Amino acid sequence: MTIIGIDFAKLTLMDALDLAILIEDEARERYEEFAHQMDRTHTPEAAKFFRYMVENETKHGQEITKRRAEHFGSAPATVSPDLLFDVEAPDYDATRAFMSARQAMQAALSSEHKAHRFFEAAAAAVQDDDVRTLFQDLRDEELTHQAMVEAEIAKLGPDDPGTLEDYPDDLAPQ
Amino acid sequence: MSDVGPARKGRDMGSGIIVPSCRDLVFGMAGSGGDGIVSAGDSLLQAAAAEGYHGVMTKSFGSQIRGGESSCRVRISTTPILNPGGNLDVAVALNWEDFLKFGAELPVSGTTVVIYEAATGIAPDQIPLVGVTPRQVIACPMTQMAKDSAGTERAKNTVVLGLIAGWFGIGAVAVMKGIRKKLAKKGEELVEANQRAFDAGRAFAMENPLTVSMNIVASDTKGNVKLITDGNDMCAAAAIFAGCRFFGGYPITPSTEIMQFFTDHVWKYGGSVLQAEDEIAGIGAAVGASFAGVKSMTATSGPGLSLKTEMMGLASIAELPLVIIDVQRGGPSTGLPTKTEQSDLFAACFSAHGDVVRPVLAPTSVADTFRITVEAFNIAEQYQTPVIVLSDQEISQRKETLDPIDTSQFTIIDRLEPTGSDLVDYKRFKQTDSHISPISHPGMQGGTYLASGIEHVESGAPTNSGTVHKRMNTKRVKKLDPLKDRKDLFEVLGNADAPLAMVAWGSVAGVCREALQMAKAEGINVKLLVPYLLYPVAEGAYHDFFDSVQKGLIIEQTHLAQYFKLLRMHLDLPAGVRSVARDGANPFLPREIVAMLHRLLSELQRSHEDNLQPQE
Amino acid sequence: MTNGTTEYQAKDYKSDLKPIWCPGCGDFAVVQGIYRALAAIGRPPHEIAFVSGIGCSSRIPGYTTAYGFNSVHGRSLPIAQGIKMANPDLLVLAAGGDGDGFSIGGGHLPHMVRRNMDIAYIVMDNQIYGLTKGQLSPTSAKGRTTATSRYGSLEQPVNPLLYMLAYGAGFVAQAAPTDLAGMASIIEQAIRYPGFAFVNIQSPCVTYGEEGQQIKALKAMGVTLDSLGHNSGDRLAAMDLASHYGEKLHLGIFYKNPEPPPTYGDLVKERQELLSKDALPPERILDLFIKK
Repeated sequence: MTIIGIDFAKLTLMDALDLAILIEDEARERYEEFAHQMDRTHTPEAAKFFRYMVENETKHGQEITKRRAEHFGSAPATVSPDLLFDVEAPDYDATRAFMSARQAMQAALSSEHKAHRFFEAAAAAVQDDDVRTLFQDLRDEELTHQAMVEAEIAKLGPDDPGTLEDYPDDLAPQ
Repeated sequence: MSDVGPARKGRDMGSGIIVPSCRDLVFGMAGSGGDGIVSAGDSLLQAAAAEGYHGVMTKSFGSQIRGGESSCRVRISTTPILNPGGNLDVAVALNWEDFLKFGAELPVSGTTVVIYEAATGIAPDQIPLVGVTPRQVIACPMTQMAKDSAGTERAKNTVVLGLIAGWFGIGAVAVMKGIRKKLAKKGEELVEANQRAFDAGRAFAMENPLTVSMNIVASDTKGNVKLITDGNDMCAAAAIFAGCRFFGGYPITPSTEIMQFFTDHVWKYGGSVLQAEDEIAGIGAAVGASFAGVKSMTATSGPGLSLKTEMMGLASIAELPLVIIDVQRGGPSTGLPTKTEQSDLFAACFSAHGDVVRPVLAPTSVADTFRITVEAFNIAEQYQTPVIVLSDQEISQRKETLDPIDTSQFTIIDRLEPTGSDLVDYKRFKQTDSHISPISHPGMQGGTYLASGIEHVESGAPTNSGTVHKRMNTKRVKKLDPLKDRKDLFEVLGNADAPLAMVAWGSVAGVCREALQMAKAEGINVKLLVPYLLYPVAEGAYHDFFDSVQKGLIIEQTHLAQYFKLLRMHLDLPAGVRSVARDGANPFLPREIVAMLHRLLSELQRSHEDNLQPQE
Repeated sequence: MTNGTTEYQAKDYKSDLKPIWCPGCGDFAVVQGIYRALAAIGRPPHEIAFVSGIGCSSRIPGYTTAYGFNSVHGRSLPIAQGIKMANPDLLVLAAGGDGDGFSIGGGHLPHMVRRNMDIAYIVMDNQIYGLTKGQLSPTSAKGRTTATSRYGSLEQPVNPLLYMLAYGAGFVAQAAPTDLAGMASIIEQAIRYPGFAFVNIQSPCVTYGEEGQQIKALKAMGVTLDSLGHNSGDRLAAMDLASHYGEKLHLGIFYKNPEPPPTYGDLVKERQELLSKDALPPERILDLFIKK
């Protein structure tokens, strides 16, 4: 969605790398939350996929962290996670109880699209060459991530017919 | 005048000197709202206190806000007063229509002196008191005397005070001193007018002496410091003394004065008070303040207690200290807002759905309202529970003189707070040997927790587990067990091994204390149990008391015999113990209780004789 | 907004308790917004008291690291007031649903407003009673079919925004998870406002809500008050816009008093300071009753 409080024109490489790490963190945490939601509502296929996404986001984050350490060692970050609002993390609106694996994957896919658009726009807004290159790389990586998810979707058999409404559970008043 | 001991007649020594011989006088006065009857009663009470007497005043009104019938009783005595008294010694009727509306509160008997307004045009032998011939009936033109002396009818209550000073020797100087003080701001002329009215009344009395003189004996405690207050003010003052610094409530008769005391004074102690938008918001704010770590209270009467039920349950499950004063009045529903009753007992003990045990205490007088209110806060804080104090309209509205109370004898108990290691991975509802967990409050680092009405595990997180629920219910109930061993919350008067017994709580205990004195003087070996702790029921205290008892009375002002039934739920009463239950607004009189004790004694003696009969 | 400038981050306000909300519930975003707002303000969690009533959204205090009080239906506001009066230094928040706030709790609202204690009240408005299985709520549209209105609701809905504006609230805003940053900012501003602040959040129910009420639809509907050129210092203009509640989704601050009056707490403090010199020591309080 958006990042607030950052003047992209003046963004430094270190801050850009730190933002990229936070973007992966935000997404990873979201997928973790989603996995827990799916556990609680007995939606195992979607849970399994969200956990797969947790692994992916963790890996992506680790890669960028390595790069950051190479360039900037352990200099403290100056950007806060609180500046990010669902940049790559899927919207909370994306999950539903009893969602199919396909629907989970589609949610992840649209997040990757979202992230792609973000890095594209960010690349256009920055002035520092190194930062621009970084964002373009990250943008292109999103295409790889998208491909991975699309591959997962392709592996799926057809969905159970009908919508969620056709499989009512016993809604429990509290 | 109580019926204790030999008749009290003054003796005219022949030289015109009256030797005072009364030790106790009960005055009853009635008129319409504008007559200043209650003001006169108050003046009388204040004057009596100034002269070193013990005094009690109760008031009773009709239902109009203004101008309706009003009455008061003032009992004045040289010895501490246990109860506002039975039959009147002196009845003052400014008109008969209004006087007769107070039949229960102003009972006239053969020893009463009746003084009434001559302008009613009724002859002394024609007064409309059915079935009773008073000792003496005097028609006095009080209104005319007021007009003549003070230039206004309004001064007739001062005339009455003058009559009382003349006939009974009370307030000869003190009444006018008090009136002077009260009216000081309104100008000397008004004070002088009142003086003239007073003098006129006194002169009338001197010129028309009573057939049997009833001057009161001088008090030997004149000059001692005395307090004058009523149950509501006493309760509020006690609360502030106990450390209460937040009151949330709503106006309701007869408890409103408690809130008013807080709105007058609590700011001075850095505390605050909220007259909320309704009863529920009132107790809600008090629950919030307690959660925030401050000693808090609310006060109400029956209808408000009903509304507050849900919040009380919340406080119980959240284990929050809270004091709820219920000044009982006639029920059910709107009931009788200005009359006393004891019928909120079931509601106090049992209302709120779920398995809840909530301590219920009850004072019996204005004086012990102090101690019981302080105790309520101590129990609430120590056991982290809501506590209900059942006062009643009689105690709350009754103004009486008291000896000073030594506040240094009271210990104040504060809630157990977590320290040090408690605050590492703090568990608000941690299981302990006493079942009481240290309680944090917002602002305390390391003590954050979720308070809720929902069942919870030790940390406070919600649960619906049956195992945890049983454990938590047990914790909440068992933590109160030590209260059942509180012998100091029970009072036994009379011989510990007496075979006859009375049990009474609240204002009825006062009537029974007087009945006990009378009964003992008449040779009846009877004892009285006064419980200050009504719930949980302390079986041990009752078993000890009833051990020697063969016949007894459980006396209460309820229609359903609620207290009797409460006891029977928890213990086996001796077969000879029975219920004496009467609806509110129908006060018990010491004399009639003594009569019941005489009957019990006869029954007891007969059954002994039966037992001694040789077998046939 | 000053995110990232205090020593606290959103995660410092997030507890370990996993929400019971249905996946997709709008409240997930709302609580995230609250975490962000609190982080921006930077009060330590133990100085925050968060009170709620009963309902799905009322579970929210348990999902924060503040002192929470999940109380009884419709009564969060009186309890919040008691907390604030007992300890004015605490940051006090109240939250609940549209039923908790505008049905059973409705009687407390005008009094909250006129007392003007420094408390922020967040209502998660989803036009339904979710926790109890889908009954009509006070903000359900007329004609709406629910578990208790099989033939359609016969009642005109409450307009939370208009009511609060008409009561005279000093801060009235509406937000939605359609704009997370905006919502977090509005919540932050409500908390910062020195007095009673009300935020109505359109937080869709995925289980009982209608298609037209879900985030996708809200995203299409949402119009910011800023984009309309609204002046938030103009109460009447705010009320005019608020009257479209139900047909339109206006997001932003409807009204914010440009000259906030002293809060209830300010006035109490003044009074306490004034009167404290008249206090008899508590152990001598019975001297008030001495017969002179």
